[in-house]
Amino acid sequence: MQDLSLYIHIPFCDHKCIYCDFYSIIKHENINQYFNSLLTELSFYSENLKKKYVIKSIFFGGGTPSFVNPELLNSVITKIREELNVDDRVEITMETNPGTVDKNKILLVKSTGINRISIGIQSFDETELKFLTRIHDRETAIKTVYDFYESGFENISIDLMFNLPGQTKSVWTSNLKQAVELPVNHISAYSLILEKGTILNKMVLDGKVKMQDEDYDADLYELAIQFLSDNGYRQYEVSNFSKKGFECLHNLAYWRHKEYLGLGTSAHSFINNKRWWNYSSLRMYMNSVASKGYAVRSSELLKPDELREEYVMLNLRGPGLNLKELYVKYGNTWYEHNKKYIDKLFQSGFIIRNDNFIKFTSRGYALCDEILSNFH
Amino acid sequence: MNNIRNFCIIAHIDHGKSTIADGLLEFTGTVSQRELKAQLLDSMDLERERGITIKSHAIQMHYKAKDENNYTLNLIDTPGHVDFSYEVSRSLAACEGALLVVDAAQGVEAQTISNLYLAVDAGLEIIPVINKIDLPSAMTDTVKNQIIELIGCDESDIILASAKTRVGIEEILETIIRKVPHPQGDENKPLQALIFDSMFDPYRGAIAYIRVFNGVIREKDLIKFFAHDQRYQSEELGILRLRRIRTGELKAGDVGYVIAGIKDVHDTKVGDTITLSKNGAENPLPGYKEIKPMVYSGLYPTNSDDYEDLRDALEKFRLNDSALFFLPETSAALGFGFRCGFLGMLHMEIVQERLEREYDQSIVTTLPNVEYYVISKNGEKIVVDNPADMPDAGTIERIEEPYIKAQIVTPSEYVGNIMKLAMEKRGQYKNTTYIDPTRADIEFEFPLSEIIFDFYDKLKSTTRGYASLDYEYIGNRPSSLTKLDIMLNGEKVDALSVIVHHDKAYEWGRKVCTKLKDLIPRQMFEIAIQAGIGNKVIARTTVKALRKNVLAKCYGGDITRKRKLLEKQKEGKKRMKQVGNVEIPQEAFLAVLQLED
Repeated sequence: MQDLSLYIHIPFCDHKCIYCDFYSIIKHENINQYFNSLLTELSFYSENLKKKYVIKSIFFGGGTPSFVNPELLNSVITKIREELNVDDRVEITMETNPGTVDKNKILLVKSTGINRISIGIQSFDETELKFLTRIHDRETAIKTVYDFYESGFENISIDLMFNLPGQTKSVWTSNLKQAVELPVNHISAYSLILEKGTILNKMVLDGKVKMQDEDYDADLYELAIQFLSDNGYRQYEVSNFSKKGFECLHNLAYWRHKEYLGLGTSAHSFINNKRWWNYSSLRMYMNSVASKGYAVRSSELLKPDELREEYVMLNLRGPGLNLKELYVKYGNTWYEHNKKYIDKLFQSGFIIRNDNFIKFTSRGYALCDEILSNFH
Repeated sequence: MNNIRNFCIIAHIDHGKSTIADGLLEFTGTVSQRELKAQLLDSMDLERERGITIKSHAIQMHYKAKDENNYTLNLIDTPGHVDFSYEVSRSLAACEGALLVVDAAQGVEAQTISNLYLAVDAGLEIIPVINKIDLPSAMTDTVKNQIIELIGCDESDIILASAKTRVGIEEILETIIRKVPHPQGDENKPLQALIFDSMFDPYRGAIAYIRVFNGVIREKDLIKFFAHDQRYQSEELGILRLRRIRTGELKAGDVGYVIAGIKDVHDTKVGDTITLSKNGAENPLPGYKEIKPMVYSGLYPTNSDDYEDLRDALEKFRLNDSALFFLPETSAALGFGFRCGFLGMLHMEIVQERLEREYDQSIVTTLPNVEYYVISKNGEKIVVDNPADMPDAGTIERIEEPYIKAQIVTPSEYVGNIMKLAMEKRGQYKNTTYIDPTRADIEFEFPLSEIIFDFYDKLKSTTRGYASLDYEYIGNRPSSLTKLDIMLNGEKVDALSVIVHHDKAYEWGRKVCTKLKDLIPRQMFEIAIQAGIGNKVIARTTVKALRKNVLAKCYGGDITRKRKLLEKQKEGKKRMKQVGNVEIPQEAFLAVLQLED
């Protein structure tokens, strides 16, 4: 049996935040119908997957999965358990936004078997939260964490955002301080990315908002890495930090180049060296599932070189590259070509290495894209 | 022969040479309106885009004049740019008359004058034409006076025309018949035919465009080209209409083409004379010159693996362009490439652009330079066409650089600005003549190296586009020159070395360092950019180390996009050139051309 991760996209949101470029919908009349489509799509794939795979993780991402009725999430989980082999220690994550759950809803969530919560807090600073057009305030953010914690959730992650326009080092530091005081054992710290098509992008283009320069971004990033590691959170990916044993299994699967099936609008899948992705539009997704059982918009079959490229890229961005495994999968050409450069990276303090393993240092993570593009 | 008229049109760029030509061709029924492309004689795409005629061609018209006689008119087109002045002179030599076309709104310009002098020197009958008289901004009377001042004609000699509306076209034709002398020459004398242009046809080889002065040339004749004493058998002879029309022979006075199985245009040199191998003329027609490049630049393949491709492309290109010169060279920064010689900056730009467009080459070019004579202390003379080859300063007695005589025609209010610009460019003022009270014709002498960079652009901007420039090479002169090197983290970048005047070295060094600082992307380590003369550093800038370059998110839905982005980044790096550890974008090698103040 092989490992498989399941991603389920819940595109509904209360409203759209200025920086968000995800496919999300703020009209809600189709929610029930959408979940029906999810179940149909799941059944389409499960027959073939059942024989070969065991589900190690399930991830409800969005959008705002916590926005919908937990019963709906439960219907998906139940169907997964019916139709596929699910590991006893399966990690089931739900993305949550503060202000969309109360204690009652949390109990319902708990009863579905969801055992990991990822909370999109972004900031504890009221001004920043307003700027980002989040629906919650500082108090709600903190309360949401405690509500989950007190309801028995041990595996809680929060998202924080830095390099916001005008963000001072002291605001960022106090956000981090607040984060580590909470009962969370996983923190994702993202540098704000200006995505095309977002309201924020337009604001920047119109000159209403000014992004900070890249050196300041680097300062804030270094500050985060230092602060979080001082507080017991280990960096295991460019933007992800956790207490020991609380790495996100689902995301680790991506970063170890493992196979995954994605259901729902715009979801991507990667199985048998093939990657495919669904329609982003709710209407097209549901129509396609209704007529064909699936909703693939496009796909690619990865060539050996591309597979190796992804394998290296993802492992280095993430938990580190196991050279022995690389050798078994793709031979030794990559290492031979890059040996000298790897030595240089080591000498300059961009990677650490032991035996057959290389991993970025914090300076390496900061220059990840530059370094990756220097490999042959 | 009495009914033949061979003539050309001389004009400043954009004064309407091509539209006048179109008007003549249409009026004589040589081509119909429908066949007329916008600018008929300019057949290369690039020429049409730039609105300039680079290579001359010829076309024959038949015209029944008001005197009821039928005439054969050969219009020989001339290149309109200073880079090609020798070729202009050979085209003129093939004619007996010239239309001097002046734009009614622009007036007499530098090229009008320089080409006019060439035409007068060639003994041509000049027919002045003021074009575009229907423009609202036309100042026909002023321009009339300028022309009268310039050539000393009567007002009544000047034809007023608008090629666009075909006004004056018939008058031009009648005047050509009346004033331009018919060709002189003797069919019974030994053959003398002037090559005024040539082109390369992939199926037929080099095709020479000729004007026969004496004798007759027939197919199957064994012919001789004087310049290199090459012999060929003529295969096909004919005249030029919209296409080649085979006639089998060309006689004294005729203009046409000859095909003789010649493999490339280097044996059909413009200005050379063709005669018969047996019973041929003893002497060639006067005026032939071996043309010599004036501007040099390194051409390198963007991707060093494409060196052979670039060589093939250059060789093919040379089949059609006898003025292009190239030799292999090696640069530590750029790898294997070629040192190329061009007639001038325009020629260089055209070659580079055509190599990229038509031959699909991706190239990096180095800063253009002129050719220097270096006289060493032991009296030896070395010719240096690449700054990197400049010998050690200690061994040099003196360096000589090419000088040009420049003619600048400008509205008189800009004379001050031009004097200032000329000072900056080491110009020596010689003389001013006034074409009319508002229009000055100023003569300077400049080092050519000062002209090839940004002089023309600066001249245009300091005179709001009104001044025009023409120049000719006048010889080499000693100058106080020095070699300036650029170092990146201590490593010399040979392709960025330049030879500059002593007084300008500091400024140049400072500007290059600043420019490179903007162009070289931040890398994983700090980069020191230095400019130096010998061992002395005279300017320095620093590119700070890159500290962060990573996209924050990469989850299941981002991987394909992220991989493609990475592939693109790698592709971009491949285009960079490596000096030591430092990656230099290709633009950096030419960007030194656009140094701001």
